[in-house]
Amino acid sequence: MPCPKTQHILQEYFADDLESLAKEKIESHLLVCEHCSNELESLLLTQNTLNQWKNERTPHWNRGMELFRREHQAPISGFSLWHRLQWAPTITCFAMMLVLLLNVNFISSQEGFSVSFGSTSDDSSVIEERLVAFQEEQRLAMDALAARVEDRQVSNNIELLQTVLDQNQQTTAENLNRIYVFFEQQRLRDLEDMRIGYQDLVDNDYETIRSLQQLAQFVSYQSPER
Amino acid sequence: MSLTDEDEALIAAALNGSPLAWEKLVRRYESKIYNHGLRLMGSSSDAMDLMQEVFLGVYRNLHHFRGDAKFSSWIFRIAHNKAIDMNRRKRLMTTQTRTSDQEELDFLDLVPGETNIEPDNMVSEQQQNKRVLSMLAKLPLEQRLVVELKMFQSQTFEEIANLQDISVNTAKTRFYTALKKLKVVSEEIHALP
Repeated sequence: MPCPKTQHILQEYFADDLESLAKEKIESHLLVCEHCSNELESLLLTQNTLNQWKNERTPHWNRGMELFRREHQAPISGFSLWHRLQWAPTITCFAMMLVLLLNVNFISSQEGFSVSFGSTSDDSSVIEERLVAFQEEQRLAMDALAARVEDRQVSNNIELLQTVLDQNQQTTAENLNRIYVFFEQQRLRDLEDMRIGYQDLVDNDYETIRSLQQLAQFVSYQSPER
Repeated sequence: MSLTDEDEALIAAALNGSPLAWEKLVRRYESKIYNHGLRLMGSSSDAMDLMQEVFLGVYRNLHHFRGDAKFSSWIFRIAHNKAIDMNRRKRLMTTQTRTSDQEELDFLDLVPGETNIEPDNMVSEQQQNKRVLSMLAKLPLEQRLVVELKMFQSQTFEEIANLQDISVNTAKTRFYTALKKLKVVSEEIHALP
């Protein structure tokens, strides 16, 4: 059976700082009222279900680190030595460019040191004279160099020619010797051949004479008989 | 050194520009804030959005923190306000979508138990958490906030009343009403095949 006090009783049950008197009253009511005690039990069960929550792991994120680092960088006013040094190459380049553009001349002489901007009229003639002298020097040096190279070339050529001639002479002498030896051998072989030929001829002639003698003897023998 | 002292030391270091101190401070509270957001907003993406907004708020207002209250109370107060703002924005967007696409949402309204929670994000590793989220999703935000503060942040009704600018009795009533509704929802979930 529904109880009219349920909401009040249970609402107060969950209060933080319940006075002991009120607490006793609530507990005594819960002991006698089945509806309220059942309702409380189911609410506590629900509360228990909620309490079973397990904290889940946070997904990965950057934790605002980029923003923090960006906004907490060292202030520009606090220039460190490193920051100043970073500009050194740029400043040097700029200064050199200015020197070139303004044609700055630094002249140091016995009288002292002077800096001038732009070119003077004397400069060009002095430069031209120096240029001509320098060209003349260069020409002479080149001529001397060419003569040296030519001399060296000529001596090399002569040396080469001499070597070739020597080699030719040697080769020719060798060849002539070889030809002489060959001719000599050939001559000896020819002489031998001739001797053998003459011998054969002599032998043949001898045979012929004997045959003729025999023939004459035979003819002479036959003639008297007639 | 107590946790409060540690918080204060980290805050001081972070204000002096130490990224490590800031990271440590965030690490100490991110899990609590994320889970707080998850229970209040119902989805992981909304919880992440809320957490980022909370820490951005903390970062922007860190120099205003005087140490009169505990840092944990301060950060949860920010989280509480951000959750209300975010919920309001979300509701506004949902209303606009409804007017523009009435037919489709009428059909979606027929699907039970999907009012505030994205189905994809309902899939949690922990089955119990999924159940708690689906139960909390049935509560209107003001009741959900009271349950969150009372049960998960262990705040007193007086503190809740101060935070929400309501009377202590209203806070108690909201909590009781919320519990009753949660009980019904829980029974419905159990009754489902």
